[in-house]
Amino acid sequence: MTEIAVRRPEKPGSKRMGFFTDTTTCIGCKACEVACKQWNDLPADGYQFKRGGSYDHTGQLDASTWRHVRFVEIETPVHEAVRTPMDTFIGAATDGGGGVSHDVMDLVGMLEQPELDKWVFMSDVCKHCTHAGCLDACPTGALIRTEYETVILQADVCNGCGYCVPSCPFGVVARSPEDGRAAKCTLCYDRLEDGLEPACAKACPTDSITFGPYDELMDIAARRVTTLHDRGVDGAYLYGAGEDEELAGGLGAFFLLTEPPETYGLPHRAESPVQENVVPATFAAMGAGLLAAAGVATAFVLGAKRADQKMSRVRRMRGRSW
Amino acid sequence: MAWPGRRGAGDSTSDGRVAGGDGSGGDVHADWDTARAAARARQEEAAHAQREHDASDPRDMTPALGVPGQPGSWQRAEEGADVALHIGEWRDGRWSYLYGDDTAYGVNGDDDFDVEEALRRRGSRDEEPSRVVGPMIHAPVWTWEVPLYFWFGGIAAGSSFVALACDLAGDEKSAAVARKVALGAVIPSPVLLIMDLGRPARFLNMLRIVKVRSPMSLGAWCLISFSQLAAGSVALDLLGRKKAAKVVGGVNAVFGGYLGSYTGVLLASTAVPLWARSRLFLGPIFVCTATATGAAATRLTLIATGNLPDNHPTRHALGTVETVAMGLELTLSEINERRLGDLAHGLEEGRPGRMFKAAKWLVRGGLLLRPIRKRTGRPAHDFASVMYLVAGLLFRFAWVLAGQTNARDDEVVAKMAREPAKEPGA
Repeated sequence: MTEIAVRRPEKPGSKRMGFFTDTTTCIGCKACEVACKQWNDLPADGYQFKRGGSYDHTGQLDASTWRHVRFVEIETPVHEAVRTPMDTFIGAATDGGGGVSHDVMDLVGMLEQPELDKWVFMSDVCKHCTHAGCLDACPTGALIRTEYETVILQADVCNGCGYCVPSCPFGVVARSPEDGRAAKCTLCYDRLEDGLEPACAKACPTDSITFGPYDELMDIAARRVTTLHDRGVDGAYLYGAGEDEELAGGLGAFFLLTEPPETYGLPHRAESPVQENVVPATFAAMGAGLLAAAGVATAFVLGAKRADQKMSRVRRMRGRSW
Repeated sequence: MAWPGRRGAGDSTSDGRVAGGDGSGGDVHADWDTARAAARARQEEAAHAQREHDASDPRDMTPALGVPGQPGSWQRAEEGADVALHIGEWRDGRWSYLYGDDTAYGVNGDDDFDVEEALRRRGSRDEEPSRVVGPMIHAPVWTWEVPLYFWFGGIAAGSSFVALACDLAGDEKSAAVARKVALGAVIPSPVLLIMDLGRPARFLNMLRIVKVRSPMSLGAWCLISFSQLAAGSVALDLLGRKKAAKVVGGVNAVFGGYLGSYTGVLLASTAVPLWARSRLFLGPIFVCTATATGAAATRLTLIATGNLPDNHPTRHALGTVETVAMGLELTLSEINERRLGDLAHGLEEGRPGRMFKAAKWLVRGGLLLRPIRKRTGRPAHDFASVMYLVAGLLFRFAWVLAGQTNARDDEVVAKMAREPAKEPGA
């Protein structure tokens, strides 16, 4: 009946393992999703496109989706080269008196529709945070940190309280309505134990997903960012590598991104909600609780005293009249 | 071909021979024996091949220590062994057709790379996010049981305060009733919580560990302790041990202080913007609701059992407690809502918004009844108590449901991540 250590002491031979996911090399083939589902015996997600206007029928990370290839459509407004002559044309048409015909307006509407500039894919996964919100929230100790410094959920302990679900700032862990328990990526703990790399990394045909010791991954990632900058991709940056104070103390699974994080549904800053809020919230709450108990007691004691005084005054007055 | 229904002249055995009815039984068995022997030989052969293959396999297949089907022992069979099959050097990029001959992509290069610099390019947090593509976080999965439990737990906590106060003021009879109310309100609480679990049969796992940093773990332990103490104090009352009941009831008021407030901490310690950014307010607001509903429930019980004559000091005190607590709750909610601004989305619209508004109007109505009741006497005050109880229930539902709406609003979640927490003092 003791608390599980936040960080396990380092064992010989075990080091932090993680994923480095490079979105610039992802082709959106979903091999990682399928490999993950096959290895972990997870059900399919159905055949509907979950997000309107996107070729994405997984939608989000879920209890039965531990890898999710996010399809992000980057749209650009109409190019200046098209816009300027069009404006002059419309200007001329209206100056000549009379309204602009419907045909022209239709054409304008069509041209002004933002175009699909490019498609960005990102294979999303549990981040295995250094400060893991789910791990802090779990009341049963089902969520633990392993010797690879990954965060796994022991399915035989979880009782489905659902507290880890809103405690994840990345929206990863979820409770399955069929199964009743929470579930998330284990970084293929079972495969790691047997000396195999995780199923998704194994399946990735372009090595967008790389698995390895954390330090080595960080080297590779930083080199890649430098290379990309040299080649003119100025927007390339790392999300969550190292001991990033702004992102839950660093993410065990980090990413190379080219768009702002929100475009991929990632928060710009994240911290374990429990570590961030529990101390001030508890002080405020306990203070209020004790104050309330004291306040109620005061009200009663004062009330009783006043009643006593009233009684004695009545008695005194009666005595006087006697 | 052992199925009687399928036996007949036309049946064929596995080796394609036509079986001749009853007389062929012995032959079939003899065939099976040879088949079994052959299968066993094949299996042994395969196992041998596997063993040979294992010996030549460069991968480390040493299993972790432990018993099959039991939790791992966190130790590898070989002390000091390296984690097998992690990528020793970066070489996978060479297999990729994307880069053709350019296998140096992010592999060799010079050493002027900088992780810090690569991270900084994420941009400053002061900028507005250009486009938010959700979903950002998962909404809480809790259903009606949880807010209902918050209400019952609050009533229990509030009644424990009242019991302590009555004892201190010397009103032993009311204190005993208040302790019974606390017990009555806390009995449905664990049932509701167990109903809300995804695996109700495993509810005892909550008591597997004491985890100080998890508000839910501490809350579960607090709820257990509170119900035991509440039951104990009522039992002592029934046995006529007045002094012991007083002491146990007094200790229970301390547990009540946590029971009535930890629910606010529990909600505040999540990634839901509405809850997380109300972290200094949720606890106090929940305590106010708990105190007011507890006092109202005790008051109505006392009146219904005929234990509270007019002009009894306890009656006045209960009235004061209800009014002050509900007034404070209204004020705190109002301040918090204004302070949150856009992040309060969910608390103003839709079903939770309507509940929140209705609750606030009920409180205002109850507070207005206070000056009136001087003239009308008891009925107006009774009505106000009922209004407070309903308002408390609506507040609980509104807070939980609004959190779910709030978590589904991707813009709000993204905004919270960019904005540092602003406290009233800072």
